[in-house]
Amino acid sequence: MATRTDTAASRRRFLRLTAAGAGTLTLGSVLAAGVPALGLSGSAQSRDVEVLNYALLLEELTAAFYQQALARAGLSGELREFAQVAGGHEREHVAALRKALGPKAKKAPRFAFGKAVSTPQRFAATAVALEELAVSAYNGQAANVSKPVLVAAASIVSVDARHAAWIRAIQDRRPASQAVDVPKTRREVLREVDATGFVRS
Amino acid sequence: MRLELSDLDRDGALREAAAALPDETRKDFLLRTLAGGGAALAALVLAEPGRAASKSDVEILNYALVLEYLQAAFYTEAERRGALRTRTARETARVLGAVERAHVRALREALGTAAVARPFFDFGGTTENEPAFIKTAVAFEDLGTAAYKGQAYRIDSPALLAAAISIHSVEARHAAWIRYLAGAPPASSAFDEGKSMPEVRKLVASTGFVVQGPRTKARAEPRFTG
Repeated sequence: MATRTDTAASRRRFLRLTAAGAGTLTLGSVLAAGVPALGLSGSAQSRDVEVLNYALLLEELTAAFYQQALARAGLSGELREFAQVAGGHEREHVAALRKALGPKAKKAPRFAFGKAVSTPQRFAATAVALEELAVSAYNGQAANVSKPVLVAAASIVSVDARHAAWIRAIQDRRPASQAVDVPKTRREVLREVDATGFVRS
Repeated sequence: MRLELSDLDRDGALREAAAALPDETRKDFLLRTLAGGGAALAALVLAEPGRAASKSDVEILNYALVLEYLQAAFYTEAERRGALRTRTARETARVLGAVERAHVRALREALGTAAVARPFFDFGGTTENEPAFIKTAVAFEDLGTAAYKGQAYRIDSPALLAAAISIHSVEARHAAWIRYLAGAPPASSAFDEGKSMPEVRKLVASTGFVVQGPRTKARAEPRFTG
């Protein structure tokens, strides 16, 4: 939970950042700086690092999933195109998060997707689940991070939401039917990740 | 599939969002959010007039409201005119219209008496011609996503931020959906950049859809929004 001092320090640093670029905090400026260089107070920085490493785990998971699916699930047509494009995006997300975290980035675990990458149908169902999970995970952290990290996270979450809608549309499932995407806590998300059995180390 | 995402533990998620709030608003936030089936949308109601909302947050909410008015009016008009040919386009207009109207209602409720009035719109036939409808919808949803993103980091209230970011990802879903229908790439880049208020206002002005008052050539039906 943010203290007033953290918030004030974060805001001062944030104002310095924005003053540099026409009043708009951009993804580029955040990534170029990296979290340790943002000059946040100790607790704000450690919270950012914690959230970014959590996001990194989810992005590593989905990136590995698409990679293994492309190799094994017998994907063709729209599903193959989706896996290639979304997989490429997830790899870029991983790279961006690693850059922002610098030496504080956690090592990627090993993943095994078993039957989830055995057929196009199973791939598609799992892709929906993983993209939805990522959206609810990012949305659940919006108010917990510093402003610069929020900018980076917001530029990623809408792309994951696009992926979720896209893979749903391919399967003739309604891409969006609710007025809001309900956020999930980290504990809920990690419990769901555990339940998949995809993370092996 | 061992992954089960159908059941949401809303209490837990909202409790975490509420943890970021000052004590006096936390209890109220939980009560309101849990009481309303609308879950996170109810978080917007926290910004009652005379309550937490800063001047800047009110400006941002009104800015979002105008964009939602625009989208809601567009889809509602397309649905009522019944000129869209395909079933998918009609379903899209219906579902997106309902969602955007819900956003309008939530923002109006949050703003109370501070809410700006609905402007007049003239969509210049784009609600009656399917290719033009789809092209315009793509532009609106991409713009909506970029507009919310451009404001997220400027929002003072954590509760409003949580609500806005959860609307933001829905706008992105809409953009991907309608792009898919249009045969355009639903996600064309790994990162979506936000747009600033002046950029968005300029783009909206360039459409000519927002007009000073009802046009004399106005069609027989009234225009609808939520």
